[in-house]
Amino acid sequence: MKMDRSKKEADANGGTKIGRAAGAKPESYLPIQAEVVDIDVESSNTYLLSLRPMDEEDELVAVNYSPGQFLMVSVFGLGECPISIASSPTREPLQICVREAGKITQGIMAARVGDVLGIRGPFGNGFPVGSMRGKNVLIAGGGSGFATLRSLINYIADDRRDFRDVTVVYGVRTSQDLYFTSEYGSWQAAKIEVGITVDMMDASWKGNVGLVTSLLADLDPVPGTAALCGPPMMIRAVARDLLGRGFIEPEIYISLERHMKCGVGKCEHCTMGRYHVCTNGPIFSYDVVGDLI
Amino acid sequence: MEKIATICVYCGCGCGLFLHVEDGRIVGASPSPAHPVSRGRLCVKGWLAADFVHHPDRLKTPLVRKGGRMVRGSWDEVLSLTARRFKEIREESGPDALAVLTSAKGTNEENYLLAKLARAALKTNNVDHVARLCHAPSVAGLGFALGSGGMTNPIRSLLSSGAILVTGSNTTEQHPLVAAHILEAQSRGATLIVVDPRRTQMAQLADIHLAPRLGTDVSWTNGILNLIIDLGLVDEDFIIKRTEGFSALKDLVVQYTPVEVERITGIPSGDLEKAAVAFGEADRAAVVYAMGTTQHSCGTDNVLALANLVLATGNVGRDGTGIYPLRGHQNVQGACDMGALPSVYPGYQKVEDPAARERMEAAWGTDLPAEPGLTAVEMMEAAEEGRLKGVYISGENPMISYPDRDQVMRALSSLEFLAVADIFPTETTALADVVLPVASFAEKDGTFTSTERRVQRVRRAASPPGEARPEVEVAADLLRRLGVDADYASPEEVMAEISSVTPSYGGISYQRLGISGLSWPCPSRDHPGTEILHQGSFPIGRGRFSAVEQQELAEDLDYPLLLTTGRSLFHFHTGTMTRRTHLLDRERPKAAVDINPADAAALGVRSGTMVVVESATGSLEIEARLTEEVPVGTVYIPFHFAEAPANQLTARTLDPTSKIPGLKRTPVRIRRAE
Amino acid sequence: MTGTSAFFLRREDLVPLLEELAETLEVVAPVLVEGEAAFATWRGGALALDCENPLASPMEFFLPKKEVLFRYVQYSGRYTFSEDPPRARLIFGMRPCDLQALKVIDGIFGADLPDLPYAGRRRSTIIVALNCTSPGEGCFCRSMGSGPGAEGGYDLLLTDLGRGYLVEPGSPAGVYILRAHQRHFEEADPEDLREKERLLALAGEEIIKRGPSLNPEKIREAIDGVDWEEAGRRCLACGGCSLVCPVCHCFSVLDQGVPDGERLRCRDTCILSGFSRMTSGANPRPALGERLRHWYLDKFVYIPEKTGLFGCVGCGRCSRVCLGEVDRWSLFKEAAE
Repeated sequence: MKMDRSKKEADANGGTKIGRAAGAKPESYLPIQAEVVDIDVESSNTYLLSLRPMDEEDELVAVNYSPGQFLMVSVFGLGECPISIASSPTREPLQICVREAGKITQGIMAARVGDVLGIRGPFGNGFPVGSMRGKNVLIAGGGSGFATLRSLINYIADDRRDFRDVTVVYGVRTSQDLYFTSEYGSWQAAKIEVGITVDMMDASWKGNVGLVTSLLADLDPVPGTAALCGPPMMIRAVARDLLGRGFIEPEIYISLERHMKCGVGKCEHCTMGRYHVCTNGPIFSYDVVGDLI
Repeated sequence: MEKIATICVYCGCGCGLFLHVEDGRIVGASPSPAHPVSRGRLCVKGWLAADFVHHPDRLKTPLVRKGGRMVRGSWDEVLSLTARRFKEIREESGPDALAVLTSAKGTNEENYLLAKLARAALKTNNVDHVARLCHAPSVAGLGFALGSGGMTNPIRSLLSSGAILVTGSNTTEQHPLVAAHILEAQSRGATLIVVDPRRTQMAQLADIHLAPRLGTDVSWTNGILNLIIDLGLVDEDFIIKRTEGFSALKDLVVQYTPVEVERITGIPSGDLEKAAVAFGEADRAAVVYAMGTTQHSCGTDNVLALANLVLATGNVGRDGTGIYPLRGHQNVQGACDMGALPSVYPGYQKVEDPAARERMEAAWGTDLPAEPGLTAVEMMEAAEEGRLKGVYISGENPMISYPDRDQVMRALSSLEFLAVADIFPTETTALADVVLPVASFAEKDGTFTSTERRVQRVRRAASPPGEARPEVEVAADLLRRLGVDADYASPEEVMAEISSVTPSYGGISYQRLGISGLSWPCPSRDHPGTEILHQGSFPIGRGRFSAVEQQELAEDLDYPLLLTTGRSLFHFHTGTMTRRTHLLDRERPKAAVDINPADAAALGVRSGTMVVVESATGSLEIEARLTEEVPVGTVYIPFHFAEAPANQLTARTLDPTSKIPGLKRTPVRIRRAE
Repeated sequence: MTGTSAFFLRREDLVPLLEELAETLEVVAPVLVEGEAAFATWRGGALALDCENPLASPMEFFLPKKEVLFRYVQYSGRYTFSEDPPRARLIFGMRPCDLQALKVIDGIFGADLPDLPYAGRRRSTIIVALNCTSPGEGCFCRSMGSGPGAEGGYDLLLTDLGRGYLVEPGSPAGVYILRAHQRHFEEADPEDLREKERLLALAGEEIIKRGPSLNPEKIREAIDGVDWEEAGRRCLACGGCSLVCPVCHCFSVLDQGVPDGERLRCRDTCILSGFSRMTSGANPRPALGERLRHWYLDKFVYIPEKTGLFGCVGCGRCSRVCLGEVDRWSLFKEAAE
């Protein structure tokens, strides 16, 4: 029941083109309170936090979102910052993946199970999962940008027959920086091809070394639709590579990161030319933002 | 919503602004269009001037050290303790075991009462303030040459200048409203000459930029004067009628040929000539300088050399001319005027002058000490040696702003009693025996005197937090507890007393201070104030030239780089206010050492690399920032940041005349952090 | 009073009218503070209506420079929140340019995920606008189509006819005020309306004669031809242009206080580098020149795309406050007609 609704939400919400607001609900800036119910250590400086809204009336927040959307997460006294949702609406609990960057992320990571964080959202458009159905899907992530893609991968894995070939490529600096290692097996079991590569070799690593683009050469994904998230250098390289393979610009979706304060297109921090990353994005197709990244 | 007209709390420009007050809370600031300096404009700090006022970190209750911990006390408890401890120390060790450091952030009224506290109540002339670290060389140098250490002309006078020489001043960042006037003058045709080792924004906008080696100011100044004499561009009439000592100077500066100056300073002789011609040929030329000139162990010589330049070219006493020592704090001028200096009473009346002393003794109804007291840096030495035992510090943070931080720490820790009044907890309040929470600029009435000697009204826009009190009340309370009459109903009554004992403030009263204030000297109630000094004569009769020579520069092969320090546009002084202003702290959240890419390459350092900077005094770890703004061989650290205190490195090498430390030139070495 | 759409208020009746209004509302009006006009709570006495439009725009009563979004109080790990209700206010003497700015902000803060604090203040504020019959130096509202006469967006509109004010209602609230205080108003003479048109035409000519004559379409076209790097070199990064602009609405949000405290919203400016810098240190607009360019693009391209209105209302305040002597409109010399 829950899953059906969230799937419909996600399909309807996600991926609409530029110029659309995610709904007309007024924004009061009052967060809802969510309890930290579980903490997984993903890497030395990255935690995966599971959250549960504390009030019954807020429970829908935990499932009413689509892959690629983000939350504004508060630590009262330190402030609020955007964090992408790492879980899929098809699976509870709601999860965010937090990497230590500034004082607010440090505050979030200092939370213990049972502590309360504030959340607002979900915000942003999300990946166009509705239009991805029936297509080949290539998912390429670099570094901490993989958190938002994990939401999409699990979403697809839970509805696998609706999608054609699905390929995931993921590159990090060292093998210690890999996120969600325990889930790769389940993705492969769901017939998702998974390629991992690291920049720097170390004793424990027996896999690929090199850039994400080298994985693309090995796996040779069939053109279709693509979802990218990672550092700008990696995005540019992967997009160029994909265009060379016959992917088309409007079918390459990129998740962008910007400084944000409101999440609703008012504060102007996240503007990128005429676009607000918070409301027009964070997912943009390459034909729209190719020359802005 | 109320709008309250007041004066900015940051630099010496003295900009007029309105504080916007909603339900007793200050919610914003905007510039005063009619104010003669701000003219409807402000710098980024001014626009955010009151942003720190309601910060939760504010000190709200008096604190007293009990068993090694700071605990809450009542005002009566902390003030009676302070008075008692000061009395005990005075009885045991004599009055000169006590000292008061006043604050350039305080009002004139507060500075006056605190200086009175030192002299009339504690019976010591050990009173000083941050001016020691900024314009003591101007007070000494310009006082000798012109008879007054003040800025000769108002800021807007620069609009009429034909040439403006700016040196040792990062004007666009430190005195943005002065910079705005200079840039406006430039757009009207004035030639802008900037002399600065760093390629600051001001240097980049200049018509002529000279980049001397650190510590060679006397050489290039003498060199320019030599060229001006050579080219026949001196004002002979002015020299004959209004000055003395020119021939000795002339005989000296001939040695400073362009070639010799190039050898010493590194300034190409052609550039020096261009600057000399531009300055000499201008009908009205002005010299603007700040800490880059004064904070040297030869700071007074640097000032005297600049004074020579304006005197020899007759650039004194007229609109568009003059010499502009830019004051770094909004009331450092006023604190000096109020006699918060070890050698003078209000209005620069010398404590050694028996007639002046008698006047003050009559006015204050008590006998006063005759010997000049200790200067700020000397106080730290005296404390470390055990000669100084009890100190009252008002709103200063010597732990960050004074040279040789470790020594300051030892000095303050070894005191028997330290009382600190401030608005926020600082590295210095952490060492105090009592902490007195006081009102910020937006929570009190009084006056500030800006860099252009403009006495202006400061108005209370909100109530102080918790139990905090305006320091004028705290000082009056302490005076009474130490047996001196101090029944002032308001700061206005303190000003009435100030004007009765300070000749240059004789005509100043709150009623007369409109939006434009009044510039001193203003000796009587019907006097309009004096915007341009030295218009027909100097207070000392004739202007005096000084034949000053280039000091030998210490070189140390172990420390091959030269460190210079300064402030950033986005922070002020030790950062207690600006680092609690969200937008300012966000703009410059951490310290970095600026290194020229060529030096960085040699050190194997990239932007963002952590490095260790070491001097003979100390060392600190800090992030490197690569920039062409500093020349090869020079590095730069802003001193605002407690987590990377630049003054960990600086030494206490003092200027012999003014006792200012040479903060602007410290030999250092740099290596990558482990 | 029905059927008539214009009234006349005698000069001497203005203060008594405001006194009556101030009994139930906070009346904000231009008053003299140490001799200078500023919008503040009117507490009786003289109004500063003959002065130039104050430098600090009354937009701050809709988008405060600093406001408490909510207070948080922690109790055994959970928080309770409280917010202040918007206060009932009447803004008297708001000029057509600022009124136009309000329409622009309505298109941003009032639309697409409306901003509740703004919407609350908008609803609880009555606007009595004042047409500009003697425009200030540097005003170019006429080029931007936002003045000197107001078109809609007010509850009441006043025009100074010398011997008194022509008063026109623009909303039911305005009509209500006219009815509730009708003893102060008389029906306007048709001649009064003609007089208003004549005065506004004169003011418009005056603006064209002495102000920078700019055409927004041409400014838009000229933006890419400006040497932004040079403009950035001269900019002193005071942020004044954004902080004084009635249309600029950037804000930052911060918390003060642990464990209890306030979430504050304060005005921000895209002129500062920290505005767009991310925690990682990466900055999409690192250079001052790029940020200046963005400021103009927003006003002349992006805001019009979003709201259908120009993001500049021609009030001229940004040029008045510019610290870097960047003659803001000479940047677009070719654009001037």
